[in-house]
Amino acid sequence: MEDGVTATQVVFWILAVVMLVSAIGVVTAGNIVYAALFFIAALAGVAGIYLILTVEFLALVQLLVYGSAVVILILFALMLTRARERPQALFGRSRPIGIAASLGLLAALIGGIVATTWTTPATSSAIQPVGLQTIGDAIFTIWIVPFIIVGVLLSIALDGAIMLASPDEDDN
Amino acid sequence: MVLSEFAGISMPDWIDAIIRVMFIVALMTIIAFALIYLERKILARLQARVGPTRTGPIGTLQSIADALKLVTKEDVRPITADRWAFELAPYMAFVPVFLVFVPMPFTETWFIRDLNLGLLFVFGVLGLNIVGVVMAAWGSDNKYALLGGVRAAAQAISYEIPMLLIIVAVVMVAASRLAIDGDASAAGSINAIVGDQTTTPYLLLQPLGFAIFLIGMLAELHRPPFDMPIAESEVVGGYFVEYSGMRWGMFFLAEYTALFLLVVLASSLFLGGWNWPFGADVGLGLQIVLTFVKTSVMIVLVIGSRALFPRLRIDQLMAFSWKVLLPFAIVQVLANGIILAYGGADWVVGLVSFALLVALGGLVYYLMNQKKGAGTRTVQTTPATPRVITAPEVTPVEAGGD
Repeated sequence: MEDGVTATQVVFWILAVVMLVSAIGVVTAGNIVYAALFFIAALAGVAGIYLILTVEFLALVQLLVYGSAVVILILFALMLTRARERPQALFGRSRPIGIAASLGLLAALIGGIVATTWTTPATSSAIQPVGLQTIGDAIFTIWIVPFIIVGVLLSIALDGAIMLASPDEDDN
Repeated sequence: MVLSEFAGISMPDWIDAIIRVMFIVALMTIIAFALIYLERKILARLQARVGPTRTGPIGTLQSIADALKLVTKEDVRPITADRWAFELAPYMAFVPVFLVFVPMPFTETWFIRDLNLGLLFVFGVLGLNIVGVVMAAWGSDNKYALLGGVRAAAQAISYEIPMLLIIVAVVMVAASRLAIDGDASAAGSINAIVGDQTTTPYLLLQPLGFAIFLIGMLAELHRPPFDMPIAESEVVGGYFVEYSGMRWGMFFLAEYTALFLLVVLASSLFLGGWNWPFGADVGLGLQIVLTFVKTSVMIVLVIGSRALFPRLRIDQLMAFSWKVLLPFAIVQVLANGIILAYGGADWVVGLVSFALLVALGGLVYYLMNQKKGAGTRTVQTTPATPRVITAPEVTPVEAGGD
């Protein structure tokens, strides 16, 4: 490929703009349902980046998991807040603390990115696609213990949620 | 199928892509028209009527007349509706379904793209459909729409899980069968799974899988007996109650296309798609006929279920998914894992799955014939005494229940 803009770069920049705009939308939308919808747009952008990086499996899992998750988020937003009424005020008394915290995080991230020595691939075509088999082998052999622990943790959380949500049997 | 080879001319990739997209759109519209006509006719027959007869020969142009009506109808937006959510929701419900066309194998070489992760793609993309439904439900600013949308979301997410587990079970079988030829990693591709069913359709190997897939399919499509999200007598049409004109039409287009695609998927996974029983060598002409026949039989089944089954209650629906289908799906995955890991023969896999199916049927039969309130907690749907609707300051009478 010549020095000109490649198709991948064009797609990347489109995705980057979409992701940034939606990410800003998530935090600035006064309406909580809008925030959730922006969130799914940002996550879909991440899935697009995965596609560019040729890890289709992660991209699809991203859509599968977060698609449902964001719907649940919207439902909670509808049930637990008054999203229908006028937009909430975005800024409160803790605004300076928020600004300081986010600037600190920004500084830390930029510092981290600058300080890291990145290994650059020799040519742009050197990116090897990561096969599903590789991911599967890694999860179920090397990382099997963390995988099982995560599974157990999630089932405990699920059981706990059911316990909390179920009506007391004694109240009848 | 690479179109440039098919047409004998070379073209850039992006033109090829655009042609494929237009092909899908055209196909999708025709399919939706045909399905709407079929649904009217089949339902009418099951209800001892004749269905549409006036428009065109035996009513075949009825769907076109419907479409013309919808296109020319005024597109009304309620004044209190949320503008963006309301206007964008039909597209959000429509586009994911549209994308699911990509990995569907109609013959050995006729598909848009043969994705190696085709099955995951179908469910990953189809799941986004529900975002559009929830957007419509919330954006309409209508209590019935919201109720329908919340029901649809709960239903879609609950039934996705047993369906995905069953897909895992099917892929396990497919992978171990394909591994004999040395290419187990292709088992995520729908076309490869169809390709493996030359002699044995997976219906024989995974009968329980087929049953759970059918039930989950009806639930995902909001078809009776699982049509609580769009039940006219309960939520007056559900999440699209405020829609009219072409936006309403897009929800219906999405629904009928999803019906078609899931039926194609089911016939590919369990009935052998283009392959069984004639094998891959019969030529494309017969393969597409085979796909057509299998798909049609299943479509008649799905449409007929609308006239044959009464509607469930929403709590029965959720309980059935989480307490019956999900455990059975997990047991199926475990059983497959154990049998295949110890190199069990195909008939062992099929027999165990069939035994599980019989157990599922027995359990459902037992639950249905149970005396009311014996094992399940009864949910009181109406207050014990009628509420006074005209006087809002009177607090509702204790609703009973638990």
